[in-house]
Amino acid sequence: MSITPLPDSASRSPKLKRSEDSDHATPQLDGDADDGAALQFAYDDEMPSELQSPAAEQEQDDAPAKKQKIERPTRLNYAPHMTLRGHKRGVAQVKISPDGKWIASCSADATIKIWDSRSGALAHTLEGHLAGVSTIAWSPDSKVLASGSDDKIIRLWDVSTGRCLPSPLVGHHNYVYSLAFSPKGNMLVSGSYDEAVFLWDVRTARLMRSLPAHSDPVSGVDFVRDGTLIVSCASDGMIRIWDTGTGQCLKTLIHEDNASVTSVRFSPNGKFVLAATLDSCVRLWNYVEGRCVKTYQGHENKKYSINTAFGSYTAEVEKQRTMEGQEQGEPEAQPKWAFAAGGSDDGRVMLWDVSSKEVLQELKGHDGVVLGIDVGLDDQTIVTCGNDTTVKVWKRLPLPEGIPNGVDGTNGVHDGAEVKGMLMENVATEPVTGEATPAAISTPVPVGVAANDEG
Amino acid sequence: MNLPLTDPALLAQDIPESLTARLRSSGQAVCLRFSHAGDLLASGTAKGTIAIFDLETNGVARKLTGHTPGRTVQSLSWERRGRYLLSSSIDYKVILWDLRDGSRVRTLNLGAPVYIAELHPLDHRRCVAALYNYRPVLVDLDPGTIHPLPTRPRDLASDPDLKAASKHFTTVVAFTPDGAHALTGTTKGYLCVIRVATREILYSTRLCSKPILLLRLSASGRDLLVNASDTIIRTLRLPDLSNPNLRPDEIRLDVEHRFQDVVNRLSWNHVAFSSSADYVMASTLMNHDIYIWERGHGSLVKILEGPREELGAVEWHPTRPVVAATGVESGRIYLWGIHTPQRWSALAPDFAEVEENVEYVEREDEFDIHPEEEVRKRQLDQEDEEVDVLTVDDEQLLREGAMHKDTLANMNGSANKEGEAQAGVFRMPVLLDMGESDSEDEMVAIGTGQFRRKSTAMDEADFWDGDAEGGGEGDGEANEVVGAKRQRRGD
Repeated sequence: MSITPLPDSASRSPKLKRSEDSDHATPQLDGDADDGAALQFAYDDEMPSELQSPAAEQEQDDAPAKKQKIERPTRLNYAPHMTLRGHKRGVAQVKISPDGKWIASCSADATIKIWDSRSGALAHTLEGHLAGVSTIAWSPDSKVLASGSDDKIIRLWDVSTGRCLPSPLVGHHNYVYSLAFSPKGNMLVSGSYDEAVFLWDVRTARLMRSLPAHSDPVSGVDFVRDGTLIVSCASDGMIRIWDTGTGQCLKTLIHEDNASVTSVRFSPNGKFVLAATLDSCVRLWNYVEGRCVKTYQGHENKKYSINTAFGSYTAEVEKQRTMEGQEQGEPEAQPKWAFAAGGSDDGRVMLWDVSSKEVLQELKGHDGVVLGIDVGLDDQTIVTCGNDTTVKVWKRLPLPEGIPNGVDGTNGVHDGAEVKGMLMENVATEPVTGEATPAAISTPVPVGVAANDEG
Repeated sequence: MNLPLTDPALLAQDIPESLTARLRSSGQAVCLRFSHAGDLLASGTAKGTIAIFDLETNGVARKLTGHTPGRTVQSLSWERRGRYLLSSSIDYKVILWDLRDGSRVRTLNLGAPVYIAELHPLDHRRCVAALYNYRPVLVDLDPGTIHPLPTRPRDLASDPDLKAASKHFTTVVAFTPDGAHALTGTTKGYLCVIRVATREILYSTRLCSKPILLLRLSASGRDLLVNASDTIIRTLRLPDLSNPNLRPDEIRLDVEHRFQDVVNRLSWNHVAFSSSADYVMASTLMNHDIYIWERGHGSLVKILEGPREELGAVEWHPTRPVVAATGVESGRIYLWGIHTPQRWSALAPDFAEVEENVEYVEREDEFDIHPEEEVRKRQLDQEDEEVDVLTVDDEQLLREGAMHKDTLANMNGSANKEGEAQAGVFRMPVLLDMGESDSEDEMVAIGTGQFRRKSTAMDEADFWDGDAEGGGEGDGEANEVVGAKRQRRGD
């Protein structure tokens, strides 16, 4: 953190560096002498330009060649895989565990259910809350699940036994609405209807810090990837960025329309925040500059507090993963693009390309609003949940080549009555999302059309 | 990731200002050591227990019991990745702990009380230790072999003072950053450079006539800090010992600065370098303050005021302007840091902090009315930049400790980036049953000006009924020790 120069900085003063570099950079122009080479231009006119240009050209040639090879797909094909039924009332949030083994869902019926992510079997029903559960969060080691409820209490659950850990986190004066674990798992941040953001020490179940966050119910909180920042949002339309260490507000983001913000999360690299607002927009903010960089539209969101998620996609679907879902193994040199995902009041799930704002796919299947969404770490699985009491699991499949009804082809892969039922639904809605109307999918939905899209 | 949003003025500040926290006590702490990543602080107590504090929560992250109860822990040494911790105690033992599960990898009896033990910087299966009334030793922890190191300087014959060689012992030992050499300090004020591979003294010099109490190397390995009992703190520039062409007879060590209090003749309990080695700090005997000198000019730049008690061990955080110290009487751990005021401009996007009043100049088009749809459409059209929400820059990875500096340097062309990065990370598991163990001597107000010690027994009754698995035998033992202590204190 200290930016004091190191004691031996004298030897790295620009002057010295220049002379050092020009000594060795003249004959060889490899990649790591880059800034030496740049300086070289400025200070050594005699250098033959031929020495310079071939290397530079090569580099230029190399980079685009790689990119040209694989083009960014303009459509994705996530197909229904399972429907998990069991909750008696609407399901508020669904989260895949960081290790990919479990899916947790929480519901207005005051229970949390943990499902095996492969088989869809119900592993545990966690009972103990006295009112509906609005939010859940996985600890980074996937061993503990935290839940926040309308009974004002945050509970921690041991996932292996399905039992509640003995000391609940008590302190909020109103509904607990949002939770996030710090990346190390030592802290938990909670947002509540009591307008405060609390920071908890997970080890001792003690309140560490209360952030005087907002003047309206806090609807979303998240930790940045290294845990040094917290973001919170509220129905007062504000998004605030906090320093975890000092508890001080570092930045406030407000969109001019001042629409209620219903959920917020950091991007995977921690440089942006994604926020859903009740003006049917999902916005991506560069929080350092305090600027909204992207507005994603096409869905309908005026009433419910929907969640959002980030995912990434590659041009090709790895074959092993499609079926297995769990296989590790880094895809080599596959360019990745990111998508943002969120539900809609009308039961659709939207996947937007982060940069182009294109709708990559609309997943249809839920009856009524889609409240929760999560993308597995392997990006091959999406889980969604909604007011229709179901949790749905979607798997990425290769794009059907020129077959309008391509998703049909996967019918044979899955069996089981529930799954089949789902697929029937999917088939029914297919013409809207399928390739029959590719224009609706691959072009950004113009403003104003969004509301009429479904009607 | 908070750096881009942090006030640059705060980032420029490199010495702590004021007392910011007192860690929840966990026994009488006598020695301290920050982990290399700076997220954990290990403390050893006078009763032989070790507590690891999480500096994000300021709470106990793990307790380690294994040294003979009642015997002071003398020193702590972290492995670079933060997974292993070496502790030494006057109970003759050095223990290597695995923080993944808090188990003891190796317990070794060195045959004498240990002054200080330090892990090899690159190999956590080796350490050096200075022993009471015995020669310093190089220890291979894995098979458990102990090799004695020489104490006596080479020019022994020429010095009449050293004839009584039996009374000449090594009091302190430290590794250089590459682990190829060890520096030792002796009871007669000698400083020796030992080559670890051959276990022979390369060079020695006499700094003073009193015993050397502590040797500390800066992170770069080129600066040495020496605390001796003649009330003078010395800093020395070291030659580059890792240079293979360095000839032993070319080594010359000259004292760069001497820090002392010429008026009060204060003697110094403990000394430390700042993270960049630009500053030197010391806690003083019979005094409540921490002195901080700047090394460029050798001037005293700050006296940190603290609690009303003498301070023992002091440690400077490896990256931040944070200082930790133990109270000699209470055994509490205090932290000093920088006060960060809330910036009001952060609370609303259109607030800006100005030095003095500024007359607002209206923009030409500021109050022009445009059709709303048009404005919005234009805004949306402007959002045409490429955004990358996935890529994490190397600098950030480095800061997160997911990548080692050397790894980053060697990365050009190496394909197994992920594997390397993985190797660099160790995260201590979060234990969820710390509730009962760290509230050990919290005071509870029971009336005006009246306090009583909060009973841990009560906490246990509240939180740990029948079905809770109390963490095994070790914890029970710790509680017994604690109970005994409380009784004695109560008397």
